[in-house]
Amino acid sequence: MGVFVFLPLVLPLTAWPIARLAEHRLHPRVATRLLSAVAAVLGLCSSLCLALLAIVGTAQLPGNPLPDAWADPEVRAAVPHDEVIGKAAVAALAAAAASCAALLLRHVRVRRRTARALRGLPGAQVAVLPDELPYAHTLPGRGRAGRVLVSTGMLAGLTSGERRVLFAHERAHLAGRHHRHLLLAGLAARANPFLRPLRTAVAYTVERWADEEAARAVGDRRITARAVAKAALVSRPTPAPVLAGLAAEPGPVPRRVAALLGPAPAVRAWPPLFTTVGMAVWTAAAGAVVSAMSSANSAVTMFLILRAATPL
Amino acid sequence: MRDGQRDGSGEPGGPARRRGQGELEAQVLSALRAAPEPVPAGWVRERLGGTLAYTTVITILTRLRAKGVVTRQRAGRSFAWTAASDEAGLAAHRMRRVLDAEADREAVLTSFVSSLPARDEELLRRLLREAGADGGLGEESEGRGR
Repeated sequence: MGVFVFLPLVLPLTAWPIARLAEHRLHPRVATRLLSAVAAVLGLCSSLCLALLAIVGTAQLPGNPLPDAWADPEVRAAVPHDEVIGKAAVAALAAAAASCAALLLRHVRVRRRTARALRGLPGAQVAVLPDELPYAHTLPGRGRAGRVLVSTGMLAGLTSGERRVLFAHERAHLAGRHHRHLLLAGLAARANPFLRPLRTAVAYTVERWADEEAARAVGDRRITARAVAKAALVSRPTPAPVLAGLAAEPGPVPRRVAALLGPAPAVRAWPPLFTTVGMAVWTAAAGAVVSAMSSANSAVTMFLILRAATPL
Repeated sequence: MRDGQRDGSGEPGGPARRRGQGELEAQVLSALRAAPEPVPAGWVRERLGGTLAYTTVITILTRLRAKGVVTRQRAGRSFAWTAASDEAGLAAHRMRRVLDAEADREAVLTSFVSSLPARDEELLRRLLREAGADGGLGEESEGRGR
């Protein structure tokens, strides 16, 4: 296995170019699916290799729960090992697992609490709640149980056309099951911190995807842009002081509005290879494939060696 | 009222016990909303089928009052209760608590817009102005300033 077991830990870096470019150069639906799939593969392979390193690295530590034969000199010779790396791998694996578990728990908790809060309301898909605090959320649910929560404070700031945009946007989240992409990318980012840019990119492309669906449903890109902008202006919190010049790049909302004021993005499954974005896509795809191959290679090698070493 | 029992765990064996607090609150509120005038707690209990303990009904009414969805007034030695808001008002109150409890709720609930830093606000207004899409946006910002 040798170097192959370390490769999946750093291969997430191959997805950075596309995480950066997908936002502008790919259709948001394609970008969301591509990025979350790549993130899932890279995150899974990285975790698998971390687990392998942890097993190899700790087999010789006293008191470990693994079979004694795994620490035999012959096995040691066949499997490159390092105690420091092994210990570090155990710690990293534990941290990643705890972080992923925390995210899953929070998902379950928020969904359960929200469902409880809405109990007793008539079962329409859209729930308008009398609250002056402006908000609009999508609550995912099993099958068709998903709901859209909009406060009257939010609706008060919008015209009827803009409200249609808001509802179309939230319904697109439900119909496209966007929360799954977000959860997948979120878990991947917690499994390997190198995947964090992908999580940020998916959070953005999911909103863009819903924006485009809303623009199509309403048939007017300009009113869609205005709805997004007005909703953001209505629901902004007390503005935090921003150090001038520190933040160079505009936040997600202005970028969404700018994208909506431009032409609709073209739907193309794969961009041509010899463009910047094409290169980026193929780099990420190649990274995911190499990551899958090397972690499979390491896993199979290790399985064979350890099976030979384990007395039955 | 029957619906509430079906909404619960669905077990026919445990009627009132198995209903969650949230569900009971919603049931008490809808019973109160059906009342023609301010009614005593006993009326609500009767309306719910009489299976709940009187103190339970009082507890739930008191809790609803803390949430501002029911009001009460003195009527002789006890209180008469009135619904001040509908089921949506109760849900809104509970939802606000969920949202307040989850600082990082955007990780779970997709929201229409994320928070807007001050520098983005100006950028947003300029974008819309340049596109000529700022229908009603300019006046609103002036109104806000005053």
